[in-house]
Amino acid sequence: MSASISPPLLSCRNVTKQFGSLVAIDDLSFDLPAGEILGIGGPNGAGKTTLFEVISGHNTATSGQILLEGRDVTRCSPVQMCHAGMARVFQLNTGFDSLSVRDNVRVAAYYGRRNRVVPGISMEPAVEEAVDAALRDVGLAGSDDCLTATLPVLDRKLLMLASALVMKPRLLLLDEPVGGLTHKEIDHVAEIVRRVAATGVTVLLIEHVMRFLVQLSTRVLILHHGRKLYEGPAAGLANDRDVVDVYLGKGAGEYVAALTAGDAQHVG
Amino acid sequence: MTARQRDITLCLLFSGLAALLPLVSDVRYTVTQTTFFFIWATVVVQWNLVFGIGGIFSLAQMALFAIGAYTTAMLGYYFGTSMILAMPIGALLAVLFSVALGLACLKLRGPYVALLTLCVAQVLYLTIVNDTDCFTNPPSGCMPLMGGVRGFSRFGDLGFRELLGSGFYVGRYYVGLAILTVAMIVSIIVIRSPMGLAFQALRDNPVYAAARGMDRFKYQLWIFGLSAFFTGLAGSFYAVNTGAVGPVVFSFSHLLFLLSMIIVGGVGTIWGPIVGALLLMFAEEAMRELGDMRDIGMGLILVVCVVLMPRGIVGLFEDLVRWRTARTAQAVPLPRRETV
Repeated sequence: MSASISPPLLSCRNVTKQFGSLVAIDDLSFDLPAGEILGIGGPNGAGKTTLFEVISGHNTATSGQILLEGRDVTRCSPVQMCHAGMARVFQLNTGFDSLSVRDNVRVAAYYGRRNRVVPGISMEPAVEEAVDAALRDVGLAGSDDCLTATLPVLDRKLLMLASALVMKPRLLLLDEPVGGLTHKEIDHVAEIVRRVAATGVTVLLIEHVMRFLVQLSTRVLILHHGRKLYEGPAAGLANDRDVVDVYLGKGAGEYVAALTAGDAQHVG
Repeated sequence: MTARQRDITLCLLFSGLAALLPLVSDVRYTVTQTTFFFIWATVVVQWNLVFGIGGIFSLAQMALFAIGAYTTAMLGYYFGTSMILAMPIGALLAVLFSVALGLACLKLRGPYVALLTLCVAQVLYLTIVNDTDCFTNPPSGCMPLMGGVRGFSRFGDLGFRELLGSGFYVGRYYVGLAILTVAMIVSIIVIRSPMGLAFQALRDNPVYAAARGMDRFKYQLWIFGLSAFFTGLAGSFYAVNTGAVGPVVFSFSHLLFLLSMIIVGGVGTIWGPIVGALLLMFAEEAMRELGDMRDIGMGLILVVCVVLMPRGIVGLFEDLVRWRTARTAQAVPLPRRETV
C-alpha cells in the first residue's frame, strides 16, 4: 500500500470475538473513512454491542485487527482508546449517578482528552469553557446542578452525549442513542448528531429506530449472527431480500423504503 | 467563593474555635478526651476518602494506624529517635504499606476488599501477639521485637513536659488539633478537585469511567496512598500522646466504632465523618456510667441512624437543601432547552 493514501480512520480486519463456543463476531471486516456516519443495525444478539466493546477496548478481539488511522489498537485499553480520540456512548443510561450534571461533563473534559499523569488541584478555565459549550450544544445548559440519578431519560442520553463530545473525539461511537425516546426527542438527538458530524467528527452508530438510522447514516451495515449481512447505502436496505427477511420484516421494509425515498428527495 | 474555599474557611473557623477550648476549660479530662477526638476524627476523615469517596470497602485503616503507631514507638524504643522525626517516618511507612495493599486489592470488588484488608490486619495482629521470643532483655523483662502482647511504653514524647510542666497535655491538644485541621483541609481539597471527581466517577461506574479516560489502577493507588499518610500520622501521634502502644490498636470493636462514625455522619460527604465522630464520642461519654448497656446504646444509635437516615446526618441535610432548591426552582420555572 502506498504511504500517500491516508488509511481509513477506523478499520476492522477479520475481527472475531468468541465467548467460549459462542461466536459473537465472526470474521468481520469493514472500513470507516473519516467524515462518514456508518449506521449499524441487525437483530438482537447480532453482535452489535460486542463489536463496540471490542473497538472501544472494553473487550479484546479473539482474533483479527482493529486499526485506528493505520495504527494497531486491537489490544489497547479503554483509557488508551479514549485518549486516542474515540468517545463511546453506552447503550444503557450510563452516568456517574451521584455526581451533578456539570461534574459528569467536567470529569470527562478533564480526563478524557489526554492522560493526566498527576491530576491537578483544580480545573483549567479552558476545561470549564469546554464544559459550558458541550452542555449548550446538547441543550442541557441550566441543568448544571441537577443530580444525574434524578434525570429523565432524554436528559440522561443528552448528558452522555455531552460528556462524549466534550472530549473532542475524532470518532464517536453511539450505541442506541435514541432507544426509548419519543419522535420529537429523536429529532432533537438526530439534529445534534448531524451538527457534530458536520464539524468533521466520524460517527459509528447502532440503532434499531430505523428513522434515525436511515436518515443519518451515509452508509449502513447490517449484522446477523456476527456476520455482515448488508453493507451499502440506506436506500438499498428495503430492496435487499436478506435484510427484509432477517431483520426488518415486510411492514418495516415498506416503512424503510418510504423513508429512503423521502430522504432521497430531501438530500437530492 | 467556590465550594472548596467555603469548606476550607469553615474548617479553619472550627479549628479556631476548638483552639479556644483549653483556654476556657481547665478540666484536664475534657482536654485529653478532645485530643482523642482529634485522633479518631483524623482517621475517619481519611477513611472516608477510601470508603466514601472512592467506594472501596477497605478495613485496613486501623492496620495503617497501627503501623504509624508501632513504627514511632519502635524507633523511639530501639534507636532513641526523636518523636518529631519518628512520627512522619511512621506515616510514610503506612503510605508504602497502603500502596502495596492497594495493588493487591486492584482486582477485587466490594466485600472481597473488606475480607482481604481485614485479613492483612489480623495477620499483623497475630504476628505481634504470638511473638514470644525475646529480642532484647531489658530489666523490665523480655521484649519481643514488636512488643508482643505487652507492647511498648516509655519510648519518648514531644517534650511538652519540660516545656509546659503540668500543662503538657495542652501542648498535645494543639498538636492533635493541627493534625486534624491539616488532614481535613487535605480531604476537602482532594474531594473538591479533579482527583476527587475521578474517585467518585470510578466508584459510580468503573466501566464508564474507563471510557472517559480514568484509569482505575492509577487512582486506586493514589487514594490508598493519600489516605494512609494522615492515618499513619494519627497513629504516630496516638503513640506519642498515650505514651504506650499495644496490640489493642487492632481491636475489631474499635474498628467498628470508627466505621459507625462515618456511617452515622454520612458516608462520602465532606463533613459527615467529623460530625459522626463528634456525635458518637459524645454519646459514648454520656453513657459512660451504664457499663455494658453502653454497647447496646451505641448499637441503638447506629440502627436508628441507618434506618432513618441512610445517607447519614450530613447526607440528610444535603438532601433537604437539594429538595428546597428544587422546590424554589419549580416555583419560578426557568426557560430551558428551546430546541425540544
